[in-house]
Amino acid sequence: MDSPLETFPLFMVGPESFAVPIMASVVVTWAIMAMLVLGAALLTRRLTMVPSRAQATAELLVGTVDQQIRDVTGAAPAPYRAFVGTLFMFILIANWSSLIPGVTPPTATMETPAALAAIVFLSIIFFGIRGGGVGGFLRGFALPNPVMIPLNMLESITRSFSMFVRLFGNVMSGVFVIAIVGSLAALLVPIPLMVLDLLTGAVQAYIFAVLSMVFITSAVEKGKPHNKES
Amino acid sequence: MTFDYWTLGFQAVNVLVLIWLLHRFFWKPVAAMIAARQATVATLLDEAKAKQAEAEAELDKIAATRAGLATERDAMLATARKDAEAARETLLAEARAEAEALYATAKAARVRAAETLKTNAMDEAQGLALTIAGQLAARLDGPATDAAFLRWLVEGLAALSDTERTALAGVELELVSAADQDSPVQDRIAAAITNALGTPAKLTFRTEPALIAGHELHAPHFSLRNSWRADLDRIAAALGEKGDLSDAA
Repeated sequence: MDSPLETFPLFMVGPESFAVPIMASVVVTWAIMAMLVLGAALLTRRLTMVPSRAQATAELLVGTVDQQIRDVTGAAPAPYRAFVGTLFMFILIANWSSLIPGVTPPTATMETPAALAAIVFLSIIFFGIRGGGVGGFLRGFALPNPVMIPLNMLESITRSFSMFVRLFGNVMSGVFVIAIVGSLAALLVPIPLMVLDLLTGAVQAYIFAVLSMVFITSAVEKGKPHNKES
Repeated sequence: MTFDYWTLGFQAVNVLVLIWLLHRFFWKPVAAMIAARQATVATLLDEAKAKQAEAEAELDKIAATRAGLATERDAMLATARKDAEAARETLLAEARAEAEALYATAKAARVRAAETLKTNAMDEAQGLALTIAGQLAARLDGPATDAAFLRWLVEGLAALSDTERTALAGVELELVSAADQDSPVQDRIAAAITNALGTPAKLTFRTEPALIAGHELHAPHFSLRNSWRADLDRIAAALGEKGDLSDAA
């Protein structure tokens, strides 16, 4: 069995001197992207006031994401909807892609969770600056007092890193356990573990999305003028 | 453990592109549709509220109209009651007038009947009195009665004024007696009348049994009634006047 921490390129692109490896996770990600975008395009091509079952499902998803954003942050959902919702959907489908035989979830390799965590890290900066300006965002690191600046800066990195590790560890471990059990007893025995992996994948997607939202909102709130006085 | 930075970059770009694409093709249109539906529902709710307000206003109008109808009905009832009262009063007045007219007619008829009865009774009484008086007179002494009536006749002539007595002089006088008078009696009567008038009287004698008893002296413009019949007539006239007075009372 290969180490789950090892990744191998599926194929290489570009000249031989500067060949770029294309990992399986990237290909699966492209497939997930294609499925999501095509499905969304097909679904939203004919939106009507009286919704079809698919449209009602899509609206239920949007409404649920909006409600979650409101519940978690108390903020208006529109600026964060696409970011948080897409993260959740992508991670959920990526996690569940392990059900397809022969497919390794992109989130089970380190690069994808790391990329997601990096995007969250950058989005925290982006939304923080957009909400309170550069000064407001930087002042947020001095809360509750300037002594906390190094710790807050370190925390901003470590919390994104923890998101990366949490997602990667959970998904990778699930895949690894199923692979071990499957190698020992391939018929029927891994099924309960796969069901558990479904649950884990959904929970991890939810946690990743909610934590992203919490961190972004925290940065936005800290950068607002009323926090300058406090 | 390997970590491929190309893959990290690819995945980061992939996720960012996916976020943009889904924002373009999924989140934005679906959210817009939800907002449009919410706006439509809000509009429909507003319209429904407006219609409800209109319906309530119409309901208030209907209630006011009903209240007006009730007031109008009460007014009409009061008017009808007043008209009925007036009609009843009119009918009562007409009935009262008619009853009074009937009562007056009945009273007049009753008075006429009473008059008729009284007249008839008076006539019968008079006839009865005449009969009784005739029968009584038949039992009296005829010459004495004649003498008494002759004396009353002379006293009547004496009671006349001189002018009246002078007017009777030379006039043809008729002496009516209840019974036939023989010549000596006629002479005595003529002498007494001549003596009473102071001038010779031109007398003619006639017998009228209806006088019952007595002598009456008649001239074309003079009449001296001196008989029981005349007395009975006077009594009857006096009784009639008395009856009229009692009826009037």
